[in-house]
Amino acid sequence: MKKALLSGMLALSLGTASVLVGCSNSEETSADAASNGVVELTLWHAMGGGAGKGLDAIVQAFNDSHDKIKVNAVFQGSYDDEFNKYKTAQGSDTAPALMQVYDIGTRYMIDSEAAVPVQKFIDAEKYDTSDFEKNILNYYTLDGKLYSMPFNSSNPILYYNKDAFKEAGLDPNQPPKTWAEVNEDAKKLTKKTGGGQTERYGMSMAIYGWFFEQYMANQLQLYANNGNGRQGRATQAVFNNDAGVAFVDWWKQGVDSGTFGNFGRKTADTQAAFAAGKTAMFIDSTAAVRGVVDGAQGKFEVGTAELPKTDGAPGGVIIGGGSMWIMKDQPEAKQKAAWEFIKFMADPKTQAVWHTATGYFPIRTKAYDVQELKDFDAKYPQFQTAVNQLHNTKPSEATSGAVIGVFPEARATVETTIEDVLLGKKTTKDSLDGAAQKVTDALGKYNQLYAK
Amino acid sequence: MNAVVRARRRGRELWSAGPFLAPSLLLFALFFFYPLGKTVYLSFFLTNAKGEAKSFVGWQQYAELFASPDFQHSLWTTLLFVLLTVLPGLLLALLLALLVEKPLRGMAFFRTLIISPVTVSVATASTIGLLLFNPSISLLTYGLKFFGVPDIAWLTDPFWAMISVSLVTVWMGLGFHTILLLGGLQAIPQELLESAKIDGAGYLKRLRHVVLPLLSPTLFFVLVVSVIGAFQSFGQINILTAGGPSRSTHVLVYSIYRDAFFNFQFGSASAQAIVLFAILLLLTLLQFTVVERKVHYQ
Repeated sequence: MKKALLSGMLALSLGTASVLVGCSNSEETSADAASNGVVELTLWHAMGGGAGKGLDAIVQAFNDSHDKIKVNAVFQGSYDDEFNKYKTAQGSDTAPALMQVYDIGTRYMIDSEAAVPVQKFIDAEKYDTSDFEKNILNYYTLDGKLYSMPFNSSNPILYYNKDAFKEAGLDPNQPPKTWAEVNEDAKKLTKKTGGGQTERYGMSMAIYGWFFEQYMANQLQLYANNGNGRQGRATQAVFNNDAGVAFVDWWKQGVDSGTFGNFGRKTADTQAAFAAGKTAMFIDSTAAVRGVVDGAQGKFEVGTAELPKTDGAPGGVIIGGGSMWIMKDQPEAKQKAAWEFIKFMADPKTQAVWHTATGYFPIRTKAYDVQELKDFDAKYPQFQTAVNQLHNTKPSEATSGAVIGVFPEARATVETTIEDVLLGKKTTKDSLDGAAQKVTDALGKYNQLYAK
Repeated sequence: MNAVVRARRRGRELWSAGPFLAPSLLLFALFFFYPLGKTVYLSFFLTNAKGEAKSFVGWQQYAELFASPDFQHSLWTTLLFVLLTVLPGLLLALLLALLVEKPLRGMAFFRTLIISPVTVSVATASTIGLLLFNPSISLLTYGLKFFGVPDIAWLTDPFWAMISVSLVTVWMGLGFHTILLLGGLQAIPQELLESAKIDGAGYLKRLRHVVLPLLSPTLFFVLVVSVIGAFQSFGQINILTAGGPSRSTHVLVYSIYRDAFFNFQFGSASAQAIVLFAILLLLTLLQFTVVERKVHYQ
């Protein structure tokens, strides 16, 4: 009895060590080119909910209009999940032919040499990109090469509850433009019950590293050295400067004063809080416009405004979202088919449909000539904000965004840092210094492996 | 019998035992020893995102671990999590097992009810947890409001996040632990209990001097298994808090997952896995030498 127990339990504890190696992905194998001349290709994406339905409709329309190509779209969970699955599936036949990767995966995609730059296809058939948004192309262009085709692009905006503004005696057509104005309005919008409980916060932000990155760009500051990793490989994180501290301090004083709510890391939870009337303003991606406006239908009117900035900041935003990568290890027929699909997705008409289904803005200006888009934007003026913000952004290294290979880790590190500060565990400067050091260390390890 | 004969006999026994042991040895080698060896190997290397060993760094990753405040924090968090889940879970399961052990009419219904969490997967339990603990539409907060309890930031406050994760963990383990303890209780010979009764021992006396000593092997088993289980908890933490807020639920296994499949530092993750293995091994041996003395085998 005793011996058997002991050995059984030792075996159990052994299980711990094998957890790591035991975890590997087993995805369904991607379909190969069928015999009847139809090229089948697998597309991995991270578009759930409404955006997922929008993308499925685009894929359907493509398959219906192309009898020689069949695209199978596979939803792989969040951007992080999808990207991490890809990293482990890479080089095996379970990997996709075409993949949507989030903006911050760009450096790794280039370093792993797994993709064919779309520039190759653009050059080969002199595909015209002259009407593409410059700010969007900038993000995905390195060393003069466009590596992936932008598809879904967004930036963060301020959402606010117009009815709550009226109730608090504020002008619902004058949303705050600066941090100071946000503070003032948030104070008026915060509503407490008799027992001192906060019924409605004035302002909220999900603890999402993307907002921090945006506010670095908004103050025209770099996230990493060597021109945000665009002049040369980044070797050091530099976000622990005055601009980073100022942003986190602003957030902290809001939370401390009881006028900013904290609904955790998930942006969906802050959206839900807004829909439930628990916060009167919040910052989120323009990609959420459709969902937020629909969610508030019949309850209150939703207004949108450009990202409030600090006094003297030039403003501007980084393009967030995703782009399409064509995989190198695929047969040429599949790569060509993938390129056909990419062109279909970049078509002004498709982009117009996509914009109206989600809130992502069109990647090219010709889409604005499509009548459906004009009608739609007239009906939902909230969509216009992000487009204006995009056009008002002056291209620079700061607003082009950082390209570093350890971005997912860096973003998560910054999120923990912000939590530490908001919960009063560390001072802003100390906390950001620590985070920057961690990211610099991670960059060092990454460069040791990938830098040539 | 002289030594030579004994050695020869032992050799023969090994020969004949070999074929019988082979299948399980093979499985063990394939699913335990090979991965263990590979984990040790990887812990000495920097790896690329595919998990291939790329550059040898020796003990560096272990040195970094022990110098890292984050790793120490993870260790403490893990210990706290084990404390918060194992003892309350064990006591609650014991209480329930004692309650449903009584051969009353309709008890089968209650037994089934109490044991039912055993069929719930980690993902399901955690998703239910997410609904209960949601920051703006929490069922739990809504229910507690009727009793005048102020809003609790279940998952966004470090203290409550740990409590929330522990609650879900205890609930998940409750069914299984109750089954085990119920089995142990039912194996206690009735005559012992009856003679204690005749001797005039009350319920609590019988519990303390007859039931618990006879149940101790089962209690010990549940203790060891749930300590190991608590150390290895992952799913509920990943789904409910993702280690946050502010690393307050960043337990060791979550840290291993983060390093391996998010930061793609398989080397550092492997080193942590080895440390966890060593801790569990030590702890289990300790339980066998210290706690087991109190265990009464029939």
